[in-house]
Amino acid sequence: MVARVWSLMRFLIKGSVAGGAVYLVYDQELLGSSDKSQAALKKAGEVVPPAMYQFSHYVCQQTGLQIPQLPAPPKIHFPIRDSWNAGIITVMSALSVAPSKACEYSKEGWEYVKARTK
Amino acid sequence: MSESELGRKWDRCLADAVVKIGTGFGLGIVFSLTFFKRRMWPLAFGSGMGLGMAYSNCQHDFQAPYLLHGKYVKEQEQ
Repeated sequence: MVARVWSLMRFLIKGSVAGGAVYLVYDQELLGSSDKSQAALKKAGEVVPPAMYQFSHYVCQQTGLQIPQLPAPPKIHFPIRDSWNAGIITVMSALSVAPSKACEYSKEGWEYVKARTK
Repeated sequence: MSESELGRKWDRCLADAVVKIGTGFGLGIVFSLTFFKRRMWPLAFGSGMGLGMAYSNCQHDFQAPYLLHGKYVKEQEQ
């Protein structure tokens, strides 16, 4: 009798945990359109770091541990999109002027050789 | 489609993929721990479902760039 009640209790607890998780996902519209997902990610990015800081501060206060202050990571500002676009434009410009440049250089070379052989 | 609009669509797609895969993985963990005796397949199933939903959203977003959202307006009887 007790075992049956206990197994029923366990099933109800597990069911409520799983149901709560599904309801949370439905309520926050995490599996909906991409606009809502992007808004949820942005909100998480704003909320999580202060919460982590508060939690670590609380743990330090309770345990008396002092977490050493790490230096700030270097900020690398490398615009990949701009350098990629500039690279593509440079390559395409070089390819477009390549025939005319080849003619010009071969003409200059021919003139040079002619002048040397005279 | 302008380059800035294309960039915004890609950003939206990546954010959507991260959220959906994470959500599927999280739900997979919950169901694996509660009902499926800590097996691995609910995690893989949830992550795969999230990835598929994100891919479908991205595909719809890129293939229908000029989709206008309208609404029905009732004609007013004179």
